[in-house]
Amino acid sequence: MSDKNSTCNESNFDHFFKGHAKLLRNFIYYKFGDLDQAEDIVQDAFIKLWNNCKEVPLEKAKSYIYTVANNFAISLTRHQKVKFKYQNYIVSNTSDATNESSPDFVIEEKEFEEKLKKAIAALPDRQREVFLLSRIDKKTYKEIAELSDVSVKAIEKLMHKALSTLRDKIGDI
Amino acid sequence: MYKDQNDENFLARWINGELSKEELEDFKNHPDYKTYQKIKVATDALDTRAFDEEAALRSIKSKKEKPVKKLNPIVKWYPYVAVAASLAILFALLFFNPTETFETSYGEKLTVTLPDGSEMILNATSKASFNADNWNENRVVDLSGEAYFKVKKGSKFTVETENGQVWVLGTQFTVQSLNDFFEVSCFEGKVRVEDAKHKRILTQGMAYRTINTNSEDWTFEEEEPTWIDNTTSLRSVPFTFVIKKLEQQYGITVNTTAVNINKTYTGTFPNTDKEVALNTVFSTLGVAYSISEDGKTVILEK
Repeated sequence: MSDKNSTCNESNFDHFFKGHAKLLRNFIYYKFGDLDQAEDIVQDAFIKLWNNCKEVPLEKAKSYIYTVANNFAISLTRHQKVKFKYQNYIVSNTSDATNESSPDFVIEEKEFEEKLKKAIAALPDRQREVFLLSRIDKKTYKEIAELSDVSVKAIEKLMHKALSTLRDKIGDI
Repeated sequence: MYKDQNDENFLARWINGELSKEELEDFKNHPDYKTYQKIKVATDALDTRAFDEEAALRSIKSKKEKPVKKLNPIVKWYPYVAVAASLAILFALLFFNPTETFETSYGEKLTVTLPDGSEMILNATSKASFNADNWNENRVVDLSGEAYFKVKKGSKFTVETENGQVWVLGTQFTVQSLNDFFEVSCFEGKVRVEDAKHKRILTQGMAYRTINTNSEDWTFEEEEPTWIDNTTSLRSVPFTFVIKKLEQQYGITVNTTAVNINKTYTGTFPNTDKEVALNTVFSTLGVAYSISEDGKTVILEK
C-alpha cells in the first residue's frame, strides 16, 4: 500500500492534525457553544479517523473529520439548546499594548470588551459562527462558505447582519 | 452604501477593507461609524483559549492503540457466571435440594444449563426456577421476566409464567412475562402457548403477545433474540414498557411524572451504552431528559 496519501502514516496523520485541529475545534465551538466539549469531540473525531485510516485517504480526511465531529456534537446536544459560553473561552490577546494607557482607559476598554463578548454570545447562531470564523480565525468569506456549504454571497450577508446586530446591541458610545 | 437596503454586504466588505475610497469616506462621516470601528478593533484583540496541540495529539495517540473503545463489562464476566451457575447445579444435586432458582440483576445476562443439557439464557432482572429432581420426566421452569430457551429433544418442556404457559418439544424460543405483558417468540421448532383467554401454536418465525387484554400475532426473521448480542429490540410496545426495559438494563430509575405519553415505541437500543440508549429512545419519542449527578435517575421533561 502506498504510504504517501495514507492517514495511517504517522507523520501524515500528525501533519494533518496540526493543520486542521484548531479550526475544527473553533468551528464546533462556534456552532455548539462549548469549547471544552468541542475539544473532546475533536479528539474523538481524530481517534475515529485513525481507527478508520485504511478507508480514509488524506484527500478525504478533512471532510471526514468535519462530518464525524458534527455528528458527535449533534448527538451530544440534541436534547438541550446550549447557550453560547464565552467565559474563559474567548480571551483578550492584547497584554502589553494597553499597559501604557491610563488606568481609566484600561477599565473602559475592559468594560467594552465584556459588552462585546456578551453581544457576540447573544448573536443568532449562524451570524456568530460566520463573524467569529472571519474575525478570530481570519478565514476568508470563501473559506467559510466552503465549510458550511453555502454561497459566498450568503456568508457576506450574514457577516453584514452580524455587525449590524452587534452595533444595535452595544448601542452608541 | 451604508444603510442602503440593497447593499446587503456593505459591512462585510468594510471590515475586510474592500470598500472604495469614496464609500469609506462617506461611511466615516456617519455617526454609526465610531461604534463599528470600535467593535472591529476590540474584536481583533479577541482570541479563543489557546489550544495545546501537542498535548491533544499525545492524548489521541495514547487512545488510538486500542481498536475497540468500550467493552461491555457484563460480557467480560459472563463466562465466569456460566461456570458459577453449573457449579451451583452440581452442588445442589449433591444435597438433594430439588428447587433451583436463578436470578439476574440490572443489565445482567445469565446462561443456565438445565439438567438435560437444554440451555436457558436469562435477560436482565429475570428469575427462573425449576425442580432438578425428576427433571427428565417433568421439565418445568417457572419464569418471571425474559428468557431464551434452547430445548433439547425429549419429554415435555413447560415454561410457566403468571400470564400463561408455553409447552415445547425440541425448540428454541423466548418467553417474556412482565406485569401484564406476555410475549412468546419461536425461533425453531414448535411451541404451544396458552394464556387466560387464548391458545396458539407457534412455529419458526412466529410470535404472539398479550398486553393487558389485547393479543397480537406477527412474524419475524431474526434467528435469535437481539438481546443475546446486547441489543434490546422492541416492536410497538407501550411507553411504560420501554421505560421498564431501560431501567432493567441500566439499573436506573426513570422519573416520568412530567410527561404524559401515550405513544408506542418501535426500535432498538444498545444494552451496553447508557448514553446512546437514552438518546436513541428519547429522541425517537421526542422527549427531553436530564440525568442526575450519580447517573442513577433520569428525569423526563416536557
